[in-house]
Amino acid sequence: MNNSLRQKLEATFKDIQVSIPEDSKITITAESDSVPAILRFLKDAGFDHLALLSAVDWIEDDCFELCFILTSYMQNDDEVTGRQRLHIILKTRIPREKPQFKTVIGIFPNAEPYEREIHELFGINFEGHPRLTPLLLEREYEIPPFRKDFDTRKYVKDLFDNIPFVEIEEK
Amino acid sequence: MDRNQITKWLKAPAKMANKYSLHAIYFCTGCGIIEIPPVITSRWDAERFGVIPVATPRQANLFLITGYVSVKTLRAIIRTYEQMPEPKYTVGFGSCPINGGMYWDSYNTIKHLDKYIPIDGWIAGCMPRPEAIFIAVTHLWTLIDKDMANGYIRYRENYKSYRRNQELALGKLEWPPLFPVSNESQGNVQ
Amino acid sequence: MRELELYFGPQHLGMVGNFSITLKVEGDRILEAQANPGYLHRGFEKLMEYRTWIQNFPMVCRINVVEPDSMEMIYAMAVEKLAGIEVPERANYVRSIYLELARVGSHLFGLWAYANMLGFDTVAQWAMYHRDLVLDLFEELTGGRVYHIYIWPGGVRRDFPPGFKEKVVNTLHSIGGCVPDYDATFFNNRLFYERANGIGKITQEQAKQWGATGQTLRATGMPYDIRKAEPYAAYDKVDWDVPTREDGDAYSRVWVIRDEMIESVHMIFKLLDVMPEGSVYNRVPNPFKWKIPKGEAYVRCESSRGELGLYMVSNGDDKPYRVHFRTPSYPNGLIILEKLLKNASIADVGNIMISLYVVAPEIDR
Repeated sequence: MNNSLRQKLEATFKDIQVSIPEDSKITITAESDSVPAILRFLKDAGFDHLALLSAVDWIEDDCFELCFILTSYMQNDDEVTGRQRLHIILKTRIPREKPQFKTVIGIFPNAEPYEREIHELFGINFEGHPRLTPLLLEREYEIPPFRKDFDTRKYVKDLFDNIPFVEIEEK
Repeated sequence: MDRNQITKWLKAPAKMANKYSLHAIYFCTGCGIIEIPPVITSRWDAERFGVIPVATPRQANLFLITGYVSVKTLRAIIRTYEQMPEPKYTVGFGSCPINGGMYWDSYNTIKHLDKYIPIDGWIAGCMPRPEAIFIAVTHLWTLIDKDMANGYIRYRENYKSYRRNQELALGKLEWPPLFPVSNESQGNVQ
Repeated sequence: MRELELYFGPQHLGMVGNFSITLKVEGDRILEAQANPGYLHRGFEKLMEYRTWIQNFPMVCRINVVEPDSMEMIYAMAVEKLAGIEVPERANYVRSIYLELARVGSHLFGLWAYANMLGFDTVAQWAMYHRDLVLDLFEELTGGRVYHIYIWPGGVRRDFPPGFKEKVVNTLHSIGGCVPDYDATFFNNRLFYERANGIGKITQEQAKQWGATGQTLRATGMPYDIRKAEPYAAYDKVDWDVPTREDGDAYSRVWVIRDEMIESVHMIFKLLDVMPEGSVYNRVPNPFKWKIPKGEAYVRCESSRGELGLYMVSNGDDKPYRVHFRTPSYPNGLIILEKLLKNASIADVGNIMISLYVVAPEIDR
């Protein structure tokens, strides 16, 4: 099942790399422009659950990496045992200066809060998203907090440890 | 009996009524909410100590701050605390309000709750057992008897320092000061 | 009529957990709802990058307070997958029993919250009492009532103490013997039917589109369960069914919770019968100076609310490089709640929220 999917993918899309590191996992690396088309292809092939949309900060390579993790709900056909145990990780790299990406809400409607969270924690802008307002954080930070150059211990020392204890006036 | 003894004798029933009916406000602030339902239901019955949960801060006089306090929650806690009528008592529950606990290096939690609102007692543990909560309630009774549970009086008298700390941690506050914080002396009649 | 903006805010008698919803209402009808998470955000995933692999174990179980055991399991599974550690056979059975006990405890907590919301205080007190009996079992096994750091990469930390098996059987018999009382008082009650039937209805197509898993999806008729789809621990060694219902409303979801609890209790009895002997721990050399080889992994397990997943990236260092939890309350609380609350009445907000089983610390991490 894995091999047939791999052949179909490599036949349809140019310059992507498909690897099968173990029995239940397929890893696809692609350019950021062809990601929506690959997602639509995979959704038609039966992988209709976007389990997670995550981002990794590779600061030495000077890029962000977006990861789309797709799994499959149950279907009633013969390939069901193979497809259910499989999950697909689709990765793409975007530059670290002014990071942008197109939203995938048109294909998977449940990507909306994931994109909002990545926007406020990493600073990646998603074009076409209807509501990019803060989700979890309460204030603006100079560097978005989940990037590798934000030092959380230094931030705590500068802000919270400098607030003095309340001096009680003795009466 | 002279006048002081009569005052003490008259205050004793008021203190007894106060301490044996501590109404705790139902606000699940953090991790510690997982030990509150066992405490208020039938196995570890808190009502035999007089502690029951109530719905609004206007009806409460005990505030149990269960678990760590994030910056967004601190705003809600200060507003809730300022709406409670006096005399009111606060108890910090768990080791996170004491000094930051396990999240001492997090950018979103505050480390010492004592800098922002006055605390009368702490319960250590992660999570504390229900018996620890009851021991804390009995300690609070002793403090009320000796007039040492005076967090609300400290808040009223040192409100300027508390408000300054709150503004340093939270930025601009959307509610006006509860007590006057003018720079002139309080005795000026305008 | 006038439009008002109300805060079903963090301090509310009907809110379990620190979560807030902003409602735009007109009379009794909700026009628009917006969820405000973030009151419990600690930046877990950032904090875990500063601690070694072993130091993260006490941290990981505090992400979800209601059922910390599935968090330990998922972290141990991810570390074992990346480092290539094998787990002995008896440890798999012990892990399954432990996770099923946690599932029973978590469902009883959910039943407390739901029955309290509807006003059935008697059933709420019973559910909390029975959950305390389960917590007594955990205290005997691991030493702590709420946070038990028991699952370790390579197995579990210690074996069952002597006499534990009989205690488990006796406790579960005493809980299971009360099921007719629960049924007569709550599940077969006419008032529960009137309050919950047809409220928060969701079709199977909508559930799949919005990313729902767990009992939200099983109440619409689809028997999707990670324990059957991608079995882990000892779930493929015993024979069990996935309970489903057809309607997809709040009534069906609470009935699915009840059926799952009964199924878990039967599964624990079956597992206790076929458990093999052996060691429960594969010793890992020098865990304090571990360096896990470079790679990435996505593992998933079935917690009591749905599919729980963990995406972990390692750089060959002694600390994780990136950790991202896919928690089941995330789509439930942020997408499905807002869509279901449109045109509902104010009295049903708690009903819908707790039947979707939204646990706030999981959303914020």
